[in-house]
Amino acid sequence: MINFIQFTLTRAGLSIVTLLLVCFIVFSLMELVPGTCAERYLAFKNTQGSQITYEDIEKEKIRLGLDKPFLYRYGKWVSDIVLKGDFGDSCILRMNINELLSGRFVLSLTICLVALIFSYLIAIPVGIISATTKYASLDTTLKFISYLGIALPNFLVALCIMLFMTVFYGDTMTGLFSQEYENQPWSSAKVMDFLSRAWLPIFVLGWNATAFALQTVRALMLDENDKLYVMAARARGISGMKLLWRYPAKHSLGPVINSIGFDLNRIFSALPIVALILILTEAGALLIEALARSNDQQLAGAIIFLLTATIVFVNFVTDVLLAIMDPRIRKGVMGGN
Amino acid sequence: MSHLLEIKNLDVKFDTDEGRIIAIDNVSLTLDQGKVLGIVGESGSGKSVTAKSIMQLNPGNTIYNDDAEIIIDNENVLKFTSKNDLKKIRGGKVSMIFQEPMASFAPAIKIGNQMIEQLLLHKETEKNQAKQISIDMLNRVGIADAEKRFNQYAFELSGGMRQRAMIAMALSTMPKLLLADEPTTALDVTIQAQVINLMKDIIKEYNMGVIFITHDLGVIAQVADDVAVMYLGSVVERGPVNEILKNPKHPYTRGLLNALPDINNLDAPLKPIPGNIPSPLDRPTGCVFRTRCPEPTHDCKEGNIEMGLIEVSPGHWVDKCCVNCG
Repeated sequence: MINFIQFTLTRAGLSIVTLLLVCFIVFSLMELVPGTCAERYLAFKNTQGSQITYEDIEKEKIRLGLDKPFLYRYGKWVSDIVLKGDFGDSCILRMNINELLSGRFVLSLTICLVALIFSYLIAIPVGIISATTKYASLDTTLKFISYLGIALPNFLVALCIMLFMTVFYGDTMTGLFSQEYENQPWSSAKVMDFLSRAWLPIFVLGWNATAFALQTVRALMLDENDKLYVMAARARGISGMKLLWRYPAKHSLGPVINSIGFDLNRIFSALPIVALILILTEAGALLIEALARSNDQQLAGAIIFLLTATIVFVNFVTDVLLAIMDPRIRKGVMGGN
Repeated sequence: MSHLLEIKNLDVKFDTDEGRIIAIDNVSLTLDQGKVLGIVGESGSGKSVTAKSIMQLNPGNTIYNDDAEIIIDNENVLKFTSKNDLKKIRGGKVSMIFQEPMASFAPAIKIGNQMIEQLLLHKETEKNQAKQISIDMLNRVGIADAEKRFNQYAFELSGGMRQRAMIAMALSTMPKLLLADEPTTALDVTIQAQVINLMKDIIKEYNMGVIFITHDLGVIAQVADDVAVMYLGSVVERGPVNEILKNPKHPYTRGLLNALPDINNLDAPLKPIPGNIPSPLDRPTGCVFRTRCPEPTHDCKEGNIEMGLIEVSPGHWVDKCCVNCG
């Protein structure tokens, strides 16, 4: 037990180090973009007709703390996030990033996690069936559907469904809320409205993710099913579902759990493009906006930080989960007690 | 007295993408209670397939001939299809030990739980009782600290101990017939000797029938009462172990014996059997051994010979085609 706590703490420590490293890279990239926040804002003001002098820029820099050294500002950025939960201000929009992001990141994360959970809920049983079915045609059909999911780009699927919905229902299905709920506070009706629209991005993202997970589960099952211990179990008289779940299925779960963090990352990476097409007001779209359009480094940095933190956290959880589930890892970790 | 196990006219074919492969060609064997039948042969000779046929463990593309019979307790187990019937030959009356002790335990299930699971399936016992039987069995096969091992996983045991545990598990349901598929091949030589001695003791103690599959004639000499030599899916020679080893009639058996190193003259070059086992897709017509026979005749090739075995001395049967070869 002590070893397990030690393992968990070490993993947690490593996760934090990873997160700090990623933060450093993100922050450095933000710095590498030509022009400081002060210059960018004043340049923007200049286009509005105000006269900007060199002194104005310097004053603005001091106001924003940009005259301080790089490492000091990195430390402050990180410590503000960690200690105060404050991501600072967006220098283009002149708004607090927390306010800007409020709700949106949670929405994005919800969409991604729901897509992820659905994809695994479907992929695990279907992958097992696909790998072990006696009917070759069932396996072929399942493989065909999942290859479609891998081969079709998300945006194309989204566009096709949009087109279909527009032609047959007169609703483009864009956005996460209907117009009447867009700016209302959360209520049960709004939740229902959200669900009635959110299925589309969840479906688009989930199909692709399911297809990948299905291939993983199927390959692992085929692999395990051929192993001698499965035949040995059959030779002891174990049969049917008991054999399937307790032997090959149980033993192929480890690598499946391992792939969850990776899959969440992939789903989140696919989200911005889907969000762009479906005009979703969530953080993925905001990230594209910040990175590609307005060059809003603070905002982009904040979103990437949140995303990385989520993925690092999920990886931490799957690591611990694996150690609990797989005796080979657990015993290694706990020193054979 | 009826035999414990009787295999009659067994043909096994595999349906593959490349065509139908003949894995077993007209094999008939018998085994009595308390006896050990050794099956020898190179890889691909059909030793394991024969043993797996008894438990119906061959893969889904396997085709058995309709008139084949594998009789245990007056029942043709080859015709078993129901779950309850299959249970009888899988872990009930028949148990099997495999070549790789590491790979034949599920890696993430405790050894004890795998043993209990099997006992609860075959015997009317309580969980506690099953645990006690398992621990006693582990003790019996010479595993020190049986209670501790019971709660461990296969990867925590040494190779020899794993095979002992495997033997304990196979024996815990008190089968009448034990199939040992190269049980010592994956072990190093000192452990091999221990495991063989253990098996000999246990066979005597439980008075069961054993089919001992190996390619090692030295092991056969130690454990078997009777030997069947297999080549390309056929039994080419069978009989009492002393008779076969001292007075082999078939050129293949002689080849196998000649291929063993001579303990008195270790410098002498080893004499392998010339040629390779033919691909099962390219099975020789006529006598299957003719491609490697030192003196094949025209008749062997054309198949102008009677197939089947002939008794040359009491209990010693040899392939008719090859009985006068070499």
